[in-house]
Amino acid sequence: MAKIDLTPAFLIHRRAFKDTSLLLDFFTQEHGKIRLVGRGSRKSKAPIQMFQHIKISFSGKSDLKSLNDVEVDDQPRSLQGEALILGMYANELIARLLQDQDPYFELFEIYKQFINQLPKLGKQASYWALRLFENSLLSELGYGLDFEHDVNGDEIDTRIECKYEYQSQVGFTKRSIGKISGNTIQLMLAEDVLNTPNVEQLKVCRDLNRARLHPLLGNKPLQSRLLFWSKN
Amino acid sequence: MIESLNKAFCALPGVGKKTAQRFVYHLLERNREGGMNLAKALVDAMEHVKHCSSCRTLSEKDICNICANNNRTNTQLCVVETPTDIHAIEQSHIYKGKYFVLSGYLSPIDGIGASELGLDELEQKLHQQDIEEIILATNATIEGEVTAHYISNMAKQFEVRITRIAHGIPIGGELEYADINTIAHALSGRKDYDL
Repeated sequence: MAKIDLTPAFLIHRRAFKDTSLLLDFFTQEHGKIRLVGRGSRKSKAPIQMFQHIKISFSGKSDLKSLNDVEVDDQPRSLQGEALILGMYANELIARLLQDQDPYFELFEIYKQFINQLPKLGKQASYWALRLFENSLLSELGYGLDFEHDVNGDEIDTRIECKYEYQSQVGFTKRSIGKISGNTIQLMLAEDVLNTPNVEQLKVCRDLNRARLHPLLGNKPLQSRLLFWSKN
Repeated sequence: MIESLNKAFCALPGVGKKTAQRFVYHLLERNREGGMNLAKALVDAMEHVKHCSSCRTLSEKDICNICANNNRTNTQLCVVETPTDIHAIEQSHIYKGKYFVLSGYLSPIDGIGASELGLDELEQKLHQQDIEEIILATNATIEGEVTAHYISNMAKQFEVRITRIAHGIPIGGELEYADINTIAHALSGRKDYDL
């Protein structure tokens, strides 16, 4: 890879590097997650913003390539409050879970859609959008879950009174003491961002995805969770 | 000795081997007195400058001059990322309240959380003192915004007005040359025109 011109990308993380440079992690459409060094970027008058569609050019022969050019390909978008934290959380998932320089075309589109939607969604709907993003991320990584059948191959009973339990990396088992109701599983399957579950169901979905992500994240929990201020 | 001085100068930002060497030869050959002053001042500062126990800025006293100044109001508290931000705000001569320095911004991926920024101290301050307004003057970056959001959530539990510094077109600047995010912020944060 000698020189790449204007490939669609999002900035997902940045940190200071030497005196005036930045180490920039991008999620690109064609090259997946990639770390570039932006020489002199700290002094730039129009710094690259996260959550903004951009096109980047980069080059280099070593592992750490240099960012040559950035073009903004978007209207201004400023995520604020909770939406900002959810965006940071999604960025950390990408930073932590994707392989370097492995393209994830579909996930890129899903991320783009997620970021576009975030400023327009209400609180609960934005949490729901994040859960659906996690679902897509997990299935792109090969950890998708069968929301239509239980572990025995029987169809999920979508009635509210039917309870299921999640068995790590296997699937759903029907159990009367289970916490996940059939209709919540149906909502996860439908992937409809406009059909937001209620608070209780959202909590169940959160716990389910947390359990699914846990083996992939290992002992180091997601740090962005610390950004949700709580009194305890 | 010369070599170790060379290396010592490299601790400064923007100073590499070559520049360090220039410094060393300049001081040794042309300005011994300046060198002695530098050494003395450096030792003094390194030994005696610490963080103000009230606002966490750099200070040689336990309480910095701004915090100790009785002419400044105690009811306004301006939260900034670095001590140099205080210097920048002070130069504007418009703010007469007190400060709180975070020494950074929240960056969980890099392991910088609330306790590293002294936010528990800030919470205690809000609890114990009669603060009416907290001004969030963190940088206009995503990280600064995240930090501001976190602090505002924390401050909500107290009866305090929470404000954020305005972002917009710099004075003397032209719209044509401003970037789109700045223009969007400037427009959405517009205010009534006072005649």
